[in-house]
Amino acid sequence: MVKAYELRGLPKEELLKTLGDLRKELSELHVAQVTGGAAAKIAKIKSVRKSIARVLTVHNQQQKEGIRKAAAGSKYISKDLRLKKTRAMRRALTKEQKAKKTLKQQKKDTHFPMRRYAVKA
Amino acid sequence: MAGGAKAAAVAKKLTKSTKSKKGTRIHTKVHFYRTTTLSLARKPKYAPRSVPRKSTKHSHNVIKYPLTTESSMKLIEDSNTLVFIVEIKANKRQIKQAVKDLYQIECDKVNTLITPRGLKKAYVRLSKDYDALDVANRVGVI
Repeated sequence: MVKAYELRGLPKEELLKTLGDLRKELSELHVAQVTGGAAAKIAKIKSVRKSIARVLTVHNQQQKEGIRKAAAGSKYISKDLRLKKTRAMRRALTKEQKAKKTLKQQKKDTHFPMRRYAVKA
Repeated sequence: MAGGAKAAAVAKKLTKSTKSKKGTRIHTKVHFYRTTTLSLARKPKYAPRSVPRKSTKHSHNVIKYPLTTESSMKLIEDSNTLVFIVEIKANKRQIKQAVKDLYQIECDKVNTLITPRGLKKAYVRLSKDYDALDVANRVGVI
């Protein structure tokens, strides 16, 4: 049974190799299941399935991370790498757009700000 | 006589018809067929998906397990065929390729059927140079 933290250090080729080995092991276990093999073998099926899942998870995570790093800073990035949020939030005004003021309003704000006074007791 | 010169200039402009005859076509048929316009190839600025989708049709997904029933045993001995339970969406060509990848055997033909249980059964007839009995022993079916 492979452990995820051990897999994270491996390079891509090693990950894919362990994936192939695990899949081969799983097919052998399925044959044992059909031919009525040892109970230990049949019980191992679950752990091998989960190991395959772990290898694939680590592989996909590393792949996505690498692509994100490569795409960072470029003007156009794939939509699945962009922020997901919600459809409405993606179409809403940005903070800068909402904070924009007309020149008239800017002048008013500079010349006539809201004053705070203190009353001398 | 400045007015006369101006009038002459205007009259000259008017003799040339304002509508040019360049665009008018003569239609001899009633039908109008859509013209072929410019269609450019795609030049995407970003990949539609950052990672291309994984193919789920690899050999381990196609072949699930071999059958070990009495009738399948008979086929192994007599007809040099192996019987597999196979992914239902797999086709014969994929099954042939998968068997080649997993067990390193060549097959003459593949016959498939879908059992009433909803599983796809594939009868894989091996070529003359391969012995089904040997392969079955190797795989663990016997």
